[in-house]
Amino acid sequence: MSEFTEGNLRIQFPTDVQVRKFDTARQHGRLNCMKAVDFIAELDDRYLFIEFKDPQHPKAQQTDRDEFIEKLGQGAIDEDLKYKYRDSLLYEWACQRAEKPIFFYVLIALDTLTDADLLVRTDALKRKLPLSGPPSGTWIRNIVAGCAVFNLTTWNEYLPEIPVSRIA
Amino acid sequence: MKLTRLHCERFTAFDQLTVDFSKGINVFIGANGTGKTHLMKIAYAACDITKSKMSFPEKLCRVFLPSGRSIGRLVKRQQASSRAMVRVEREKESLQASFSNHTDKPELAKVTGQTKWMAKPLESVFIPVKEMLSNGPGFRSLYNQREIHFEEIYADILDRAYRPPLRGPTDKARKDLLTSLQKVIDGKVVVNNEEFFLRNKQGNLEFTLLAEGIRKLGLLWTLIQNGTLLEGSVLFWDEPETNLNPKLYGALVQIILALQQAGIQVFLATHDYVILKELDLRRGDHDKVLYHSLYHDEAGDVQCQSTAQYLDISPNAIAETFSDLYDREVRRSMGGIRK
Repeated sequence: MSEFTEGNLRIQFPTDVQVRKFDTARQHGRLNCMKAVDFIAELDDRYLFIEFKDPQHPKAQQTDRDEFIEKLGQGAIDEDLKYKYRDSLLYEWACQRAEKPIFFYVLIALDTLTDADLLVRTDALKRKLPLSGPPSGTWIRNIVAGCAVFNLTTWNEYLPEIPVSRIA
Repeated sequence: MKLTRLHCERFTAFDQLTVDFSKGINVFIGANGTGKTHLMKIAYAACDITKSKMSFPEKLCRVFLPSGRSIGRLVKRQQASSRAMVRVEREKESLQASFSNHTDKPELAKVTGQTKWMAKPLESVFIPVKEMLSNGPGFRSLYNQREIHFEEIYADILDRAYRPPLRGPTDKARKDLLTSLQKVIDGKVVVNNEEFFLRNKQGNLEFTLLAEGIRKLGLLWTLIQNGTLLEGSVLFWDEPETNLNPKLYGALVQIILALQQAGIQVFLATHDYVILKELDLRRGDHDKVLYHSLYHDEAGDVQCQSTAQYLDISPNAIAETFSDLYDREVRRSMGGIRK
């Protein structure tokens, strides 16, 4: 098992999975003009782009939490996620590392998100990335193979191999 | 005086069921066939007889409309003979009716507590799923003169809607409610020769020309304006979301909350996630809301779990539908982490 942290969240990966904490100075930070997802994991047949949002961070201010929830409802978080994904993809492409299908998993650590909310956010993200190209069918390949939005409970339910937990 | 509890035994879908009510808003949720409307009809019948002075079994018969008006058909169906019992309670009184599956006339049912119960009138209104105002002209006289096969809730809602406007000054709470409804429906409701119209800048629009959702809100406006919905009244509303544009759900829920704040006890049955969620998001700390989840247990009997917190509703038939959709969506989107 290899272990990584992002703020107050801890994620564990099987040892045979190559993982980079992507959104760091060494990996990415010198390019201020590009956004970045938190982790990139490489499996034999795919990449996982992973992004954590933690409005329930124990040290988060109530006003920040409320602001996040409002932004989430308005779709502003989807907008941010879209750029993080696309910029990370471009960065990887420039490094000649984006040759396998990429799945984008987003964790929003907010207990009050119901399955209905997660479904709505997943659909919205698919439209934004976007999951499929133009109706003319000119895209030879997709820019994302699949994406899903989780809360802590559903993340651990669907992705038990890469469990996430709170540090404190 | 508010309704506090309903208990029934071997009545229609129920084997044994007790539900404790909130004095504010009561929301029934559950799959089809779990008896949401039945519970509301029982409670409504108990309220209505305080005004109509009909016997409780007679009113039950009229709102449930068993074949041949045989009240015994309301006993939960089983092999052997059995008796049904329904009891509705308010703070100090209780009203009870019981009858066997062989009881063919409502007057043969056993009733207790009725005289005391009737002594304190309780205004009530039941808004059925089907919109009725556009069918108003002629319906009431037809219903009164002929044996037409309609549950009495349909005739009752028209009776209430045709009441003339309340006299005297309008208090602030009522005025605010009417104004917010007028904004949504863009006008006021007027009645001319039993026909309902929406009056606005364009003139009088027949109800038959309006979207069904607007007709429903127009009905609500009428009931507030004519004083049917006042402090102390009881409102039963079966699937208020039906035919309403989801964009209006927020306004609808705000109005339901305001009715509760004005002292009206509210009973809703809903299948809609947005209605539930709007209620959860819009309610304040002082709003009294109780969710009643009806479900079939392993033996197939209907049970009820009541909770004041949205997230504690269990089982939540509506949210479960979304969970199932989310599950299938995630499975399609990920294809697992293991190759």
